[in-house]
Amino acid sequence: MGLKIFSLMKQVPVANEMRMGSDGLMDRTKAKSIINVDCTFGLEQGLQIKKSVPDAELYVVSMGPPSFEQSLKKAISMGYDHAVILSDKRLGGSDTFATGLALATMLKSKLISQDPNDKFIIFAGRQTSDGDTAHVPSQVGENLGIPQATFVEKVEYQGDHLQVVRMIEGGHQTIDIPIPCIISVAPTAIHARRPSLVGAINAREAKVTMYGLDDIGLETTFIGLNGSPTVVSNVVDIEHTRQKVVMLDGETPSDKVNNLSKIFSNAVQTAKSSAKEKTEIKPTEKANEFPIVDFRKGASGILTWVEMTGGQISKSSLEILNPARRLADELGTKVISVLIGDNVASFANQVIGHGADEVVVVNDERLKEYSILPFTSTIAQVVKEKKPEIALFGATTSGRELAPRLGSRVKAGVTADCTSLKIGTYVNKRLKSTFSPVLESIRPTYGESKLATIIGFWCPQMATARPGTFESLPFDNERKGIVTEFTPNLTDADFISKIVNTERKEVGGQALFTADVIVSGGKPCGDLDNFQGIRDLVDALKEQGIKAEWGASRQAVDRGFAPYARQVGQTGKTVRPKIYIAVGISGAIQHVSGIKESGKIIAINIEKKANIFNAVDYGIIGDYVKVMPELIKMVKNGYTFGLKKSEDIK
Amino acid sequence: MKKQIIETDVLIIGGGPAGLATAIHLADLMMKNVESNGESAPVKLPYKIMLLEKGGEIGNHSISGAIINPIALKELLPEISISDMPFESEVKKDEVHYLSESGKITSPFTPPYFGNHGNYLASLGKVTKWLAGIAEKKGIQIYAGFNGSEVLYENDKVIGVRSGASGIDKHGNPMENYQPATDVLAKIVIFAEGSRGSLSKTVINKFQLAKEKNPQIYSLGVKEVWEVPEGNIEEGYVAHTLGYPVDSTQFGGGFIYGLRKNMVAIGFAVGLDYADPTFDTHHAFQIFKKHPFVAKFLKGGKIVRYGAKTIPEGGYYSIPKLYADNMMIVGDTGGLVAMPSLKGIHLGMKSGMLAAQTALSALQNKNSSAQQLSMYEKLFNDSYIKTELYPVRNFRQAFEGNLYTGMLKFGAQLITGGRGFGSEKLSVKEDYKHYRPLKSFNDNTFMNKMKDELSFDKITTFDKEMDIFYSGTNHDEEQPSHIQIVSTETCQTCLEEFGAPCQRFCPADVFEIVEDTKSNKKSLTLHPSNCVHCKTCDIKDPYQNVIWNTPYGGDGPEYGTM
Ligand SMILES: Cc1cc2nc3c(=O)[nH]c(=O)nc-3n(C[C@H](O)[C@H](O)[C@H](O)COP(=O)(O)OP(=O)(O)OC[C@H]3O[C@@H](n4cnc5c(N)ncnc54)[C@H](O)[C@@H]3O)c2cc1C
Repeated sequence: MGLKIFSLMKQVPVANEMRMGSDGLMDRTKAKSIINVDCTFGLEQGLQIKKSVPDAELYVVSMGPPSFEQSLKKAISMGYDHAVILSDKRLGGSDTFATGLALATMLKSKLISQDPNDKFIIFAGRQTSDGDTAHVPSQVGENLGIPQATFVEKVEYQGDHLQVVRMIEGGHQTIDIPIPCIISVAPTAIHARRPSLVGAINAREAKVTMYGLDDIGLETTFIGLNGSPTVVSNVVDIEHTRQKVVMLDGETPSDKVNNLSKIFSNAVQTAKSSAKEKTEIKPTEKANEFPIVDFRKGASGILTWVEMTGGQISKSSLEILNPARRLADELGTKVISVLIGDNVASFANQVIGHGADEVVVVNDERLKEYSILPFTSTIAQVVKEKKPEIALFGATTSGRELAPRLGSRVKAGVTADCTSLKIGTYVNKRLKSTFSPVLESIRPTYGESKLATIIGFWCPQMATARPGTFESLPFDNERKGIVTEFTPNLTDADFISKIVNTERKEVGGQALFTADVIVSGGKPCGDLDNFQGIRDLVDALKEQGIKAEWGASRQAVDRGFAPYARQVGQTGKTVRPKIYIAVGISGAIQHVSGIKESGKIIAINIEKKANIFNAVDYGIIGDYVKVMPELIKMVKNGYTFGLKKSEDIK
Repeated sequence: MKKQIIETDVLIIGGGPAGLATAIHLADLMMKNVESNGESAPVKLPYKIMLLEKGGEIGNHSISGAIINPIALKELLPEISISDMPFESEVKKDEVHYLSESGKITSPFTPPYFGNHGNYLASLGKVTKWLAGIAEKKGIQIYAGFNGSEVLYENDKVIGVRSGASGIDKHGNPMENYQPATDVLAKIVIFAEGSRGSLSKTVINKFQLAKEKNPQIYSLGVKEVWEVPEGNIEEGYVAHTLGYPVDSTQFGGGFIYGLRKNMVAIGFAVGLDYADPTFDTHHAFQIFKKHPFVAKFLKGGKIVRYGAKTIPEGGYYSIPKLYADNMMIVGDTGGLVAMPSLKGIHLGMKSGMLAAQTALSALQNKNSSAQQLSMYEKLFNDSYIKTELYPVRNFRQAFEGNLYTGMLKFGAQLITGGRGFGSEKLSVKEDYKHYRPLKSFNDNTFMNKMKDELSFDKITTFDKEMDIFYSGTNHDEEQPSHIQIVSTETCQTCLEEFGAPCQRFCPADVFEIVEDTKSNKKSLTLHPSNCVHCKTCDIKDPYQNVIWNTPYGGDGPEYGTM
């Protein structure tokens, strides 16, 4: 039997050179292109399999213009054997649904052997830097009818199956997943190897196999701009404004620090991102030119999925009840929440109290822990019965894989990681129609530099919402709703992946991406107390229920005061916490470039001329040894920089 | 996974002007007698030519002035007219100034060997990128992003070069993403690594190619490219300066060139034979930019790129023997730079063409012994490389230690055809032997004298950290340090004696002396990822305690337009 590895790869423009045309589609002509960074992790996992299966054949697979050849060849220089690309003008404008379908069709018709003894594994990156959706792996998996695992950090080949470790909210899960399968790899997995010279020589000779739609026998019904269930209707720039630094003065360190309590008072929720909408690329069009079309065809209701994590309703599931409620009121319809688990009926009241009208409870001991296949089947059956017009999910590691897989199954488009949801109208000049009402799903994209509005035309209109952007509605004891039971029809095929182990606890540097507060130290913090003050402040914040993490400047990492995983800046991590506190950091441009998208930045430095003060909102001139204890004391007394405590962490 | 082995006929290490000219000329000579089938690409060459360049792309590591004498380019590419070459401008105005602290004295005439009539201003990175495009079309295999990390020998003869492994952690252990090395075996290896090539250095030592020669001596050139408001400078304008801020014990000066589209190339180069351990070329350059004569060109503009590189300037007597069995040396790494005009591009290219000619007859004769390759030396001696270098063979030596006596001595050389009054061959000592102990300066050091000038406004003047950002340099943090310290104990001796000049001579803040706040003990911390590959540390460390190796291929600066 032969094993084939297919690694899905996309070529993208270098992040800071990215431009988008006024049509909302990428203008790839100007920027230098590279392999999408997340995809390199998928490529590496493919190469890792070769260690267990030396004669595995490695294919790098892509969809895009012929100019992708450069990146396909790069994959060969890393060690891939073959390169294949689906390239056809008619594919232009395809959304993730269409992309997933097209890739799957090519794999099925051209690459996957008909012989059942031949096995294959598909690897993919988590998401692309020019789309950020993370949908395609789920959609390819669904179209091929194979199991999947996403956000995977470790892969072990164990013969007829893979044992993978995937990130889940607040921890990790180990899953045995049978081959064939599709695995999307997290950027915390093994870093991609560099090309070897021998590989580069092979790449020079290698021929890239190119297929068009006709070769793979795919009709244009479901692909390209017209076949895609979603379109980008509007794009605006996000401007990150940072005013000149405000220095916090005072006689003593304690006076200086106490100023903070006036700025980020605990009483109000502040520290929203300083993002501001700048230019409207597309002027809003007149809505009444064309006849109004209601494409819902009787679909109604807003469905949400209530995710259970560790025996609790996940915070983000309560959050999405807020926009769901608002949208339902606007449309005059109801919120239907699906609650799946083992013995979860008792949670229904909580869901109603936070905004639902109806809770569909699915009780099954096999559904105690979330798992993609049975959950997709279950919700798909609920969707079929309830015919909602909109379906919303928290953009957790589960929601972000479940929604697109479900979308492919029920034929609906999904918008990922939204920060705003509205009801609006959409004018389509070509079809001479005004679609109304439509769900406008608004999300940051292109490395948080733009806000895109995305519209779906097939019901349910699906979206995942970024955790932390919506506030859950206060629990209302009085709210009334109905609770119904639902028994889905699940087969053995839904349970072919086995959860081996689920472990929830925060880990290392990865947490920097999700922390609300990051306290970073520079070299002096290492010299003076080996980062104790930094860590103490973080611990104090955690005790207050704040998602806090500590980071370090490169100088500090170079000197061994912190592991590289915690390095913040150009060569480390780019972070976006609500509050960033830079302590004893000189403010090298390299560091600043990695923190500039943070909500508010506070710098503490003994040098009043330190460069860091040119790049932050608030500055405290003072000695680390004296300032930190004051700050820690304040936090211990309950001060949290105006941030709400998060229930998710303990 | 095991290392991989591949073979080629000719392997060229380094994609600068010298290496690319070698490759292009060799391909042209090979194809001279082959009927062209009318199609341009891809050409199948009768012998394989492979070129490795450590920069991620050709041009990434190219840095120069540059004023190019077009003689070699014309000869290399006779079918291409000058107007189609990627030059910025012809040199239109050519000035030399002596700068005092606040004023300038303009030389009423251009001193001998300084003249630039008929030369062209260019960004070397653009030129090498363009040459690489031509080379690719001629069927040459260029692999950018791959270093030559080690020379391979058999029976004490060069047989090829290893391109290093990657995926190795800081301590030298292979990681999960380990990618093994590739050994390239070649009939002939041509070293074109530029100034102080790390592989050339080892072969020169191993085969004693520099025996009975003067040691090579160097300058360090630091440079910035600026975009300035319209009207600040004219396209084609050239100014060279002597004097401020270096004193008369030092050999050095600045350059300011007006490029296309209001771009300015500005830089400062100082001989590394200085004695003051606190001297800092980067800082001297920043101070230079504050001089009113210089500042006016930059006013209102912004920096685009920064870089630094050493220049071998020992001249004729410092050139090692340029060949041995199966190998030749071309360009800067062989010391082929004409002084005082500081030009090496045309000489490097010409040497490459001569090496190409030699290589082809060696391949045809199936013999690449030193004896066969000695043809290179004969061609060299009959070429304009020799005619340019020989008359100024004692130029740089004359300036060792003092600018004024240097000028007098050079004057004498001009009259006597290069010999000067004294011995035929003036000797020099290695740059690192020039330091004097810190104490002997009685605080009269560069750092002290310039104390008040060392604040950088981050508008026209920058600290190293900021400049490095503009070099675009980037290194994988997960790799063994490519800058190797032979003995950390020596660092302690050096600290006492010289106060660790590595902190000063490095234009990229790779070396940092850190004091432990508790024990007050000072020690060296390395930041190899800042490195811009200038090689100064390998040259100027007083104890030769630093060895520069190649980092992973593709790492390093991203110049492009330098
Ligand atoms: C500031 C400055 C100003 C100058 N001004 C002028 C001027 O005006 N006119 C003039 O003619 N000359 C000038 N020069 C000198 C000129 O730039 C050099 O003589 C010329 O670049 C030499 O060409 P080369 O090909 O020998 O070396 P380089 O141009 O240095 O190219 C060598 C290449 O080899 C690569 N390489 C090195 N080692 C390895 C390895 N182990 N493996 C793989 N690749 C490797 C390097 O990355 C580099 O790309 C100046 C130099 C400087 C620094």
